[in-house]
Amino acid sequence: MADTEKLICNKCNKELEPIKTNFSYLGHSFFTDLPKCPKCGMVYISEEFVKSRISEVEMQLEDK
Amino acid sequence: MVEKLLYRTRSVCPTCLKPIDAERISRGKKIFLRKTCHKHGTFETIIWRGNYDIGPWINIDEQELPKDLQCPNGCGLCSNHLTNTCCVVLNITDRCNLSCKFCFADPDNRSNDPSFDEIKKSLYNVISKGKSLVQLSGGEPTVREDLVEIVRAAKEAGAKYVQLNTNGVLLGENKQLVKELAEAGLSFVFLQFDGTEDAIYEQLRNKPLLSIKQKAIENCAEYNIGVTLVATLVRDINLNNIGKIISYGLERVPCVRGVHFQPVSFFGRIPKMPSDNDRITIDELIYEIESQTKGIIKSDNLLPSSCYHPLCSFHGDFLINNDSVVPLQNIRNLENETPPTPAADPADRNREFIGRRWERPTPLKSDPFKPTALKSASSKNTPKPCCGNIHDMDYFLKIAKSHSFTITSMLFQDAGNIDFSRLRRCSLHVYDNEKFIPFCAYYLSEWEK
Repeated sequence: MADTEKLICNKCNKELEPIKTNFSYLGHSFFTDLPKCPKCGMVYISEEFVKSRISEVEMQLEDK
Repeated sequence: MVEKLLYRTRSVCPTCLKPIDAERISRGKKIFLRKTCHKHGTFETIIWRGNYDIGPWINIDEQELPKDLQCPNGCGLCSNHLTNTCCVVLNITDRCNLSCKFCFADPDNRSNDPSFDEIKKSLYNVISKGKSLVQLSGGEPTVREDLVEIVRAAKEAGAKYVQLNTNGVLLGENKQLVKELAEAGLSFVFLQFDGTEDAIYEQLRNKPLLSIKQKAIENCAEYNIGVTLVATLVRDINLNNIGKIISYGLERVPCVRGVHFQPVSFFGRIPKMPSDNDRITIDELIYEIESQTKGIIKSDNLLPSSCYHPLCSFHGDFLINNDSVVPLQNIRNLENETPPTPAADPADRNREFIGRRWERPTPLKSDPFKPTALKSASSKNTPKPCCGNIHDMDYFLKIAKSHSFTITSMLFQDAGNIDFSRLRRCSLHVYDNEKFIPFCAYYLSEWEK
């Protein structure tokens, strides 16, 4: 997905905005900005994000 | 005291090295390995002092040993061996520039070194392209004048990581050598570092060596080569220096990537036959680490190996941020929230862990964490720690690469405590005579008759 492409919430028809979002895994917590619907709070997590940063965080935290 | 049989295994007679039956038994909280040679008698060695419960630590399904086990005489990796090669040790010289009290390799300084072409052939035999971790060892590998060419040849053969096992004397004396090793592709240095006081080196290595070790670390820092400090631990010499060794390493992150402890084993050159009091068990070492670091490193953050037998190795993985030591794994969290079982081979995972943690990332020009050359042994001149919010995912991922710190340990086995259930899980293999031989089988030596 290109950075300039707008994301619209399917339910609320609102444009998603980058909002601080929290994650936790194996006793650690993290935050980062992710596209979120300002009305219903639904967060969009792209496949690219999962395969890059989420996957990297998991690799760092999981036991070898 | 009541004895309990925990596990039937096999070992060797320390006097004649004949393979014999052995058993792990408990008396109270202590665990011993006991074995009887019909010719030389019964031998018993402590393997666990009971600082923690051994039950959860041995987190593997330890089956009965196969009847046709040929350890250690048939070693060269047979169908009964349970693990693949994680790291390959290649001995490139028998010569050494020190004369230490303890030395498993016990170099004779008389044998002819293998030729460059012979080493190159071995490199091509052992290396899987883009995957292997090769340890250049000895003797003292830096005494070879063609070491730089050997490192280059290892990289050309496709080694992903090239590790130098060294006492560091020549790395401290010769900065140009360090520069050339970095340019040739050396990944990291496994630096003999037994303590923070010259008295320790005088007792173990017959020389005061602290300042030359410091210089070796500075030179590696300047050329972005990661250094792991390796301490051989001997009870009355440096067991009580563990906390200071860890502090010394922590003050030198990111150049120093971790500390590796090797409780002394009794093979090769040893000053005397060991008693149980001379042995430092794995649980005792973990207890000392927590105690001497005043809880900065906790036992819950040190985990048994999944690549070796749990009685052979453990590791802890940390980040250094805002002067704090942040543990990445906690045995309790892993128990409560089990990650998916990794598909990769444990040896592959262990190798990548080592590589990821011990190799320094290539610095970017704009990188705020680019490496700093160390100026002196004084902590006043050590690099500034990272300062940021570790919960910020992007920041976390950045310092996980640059400011990690490992605490690892390997407890080698000798004629007194070798246990074939451990040996068949060894993934540190010496390559010699076209065979991959588990490290402790390769160096096994009989005790005096």
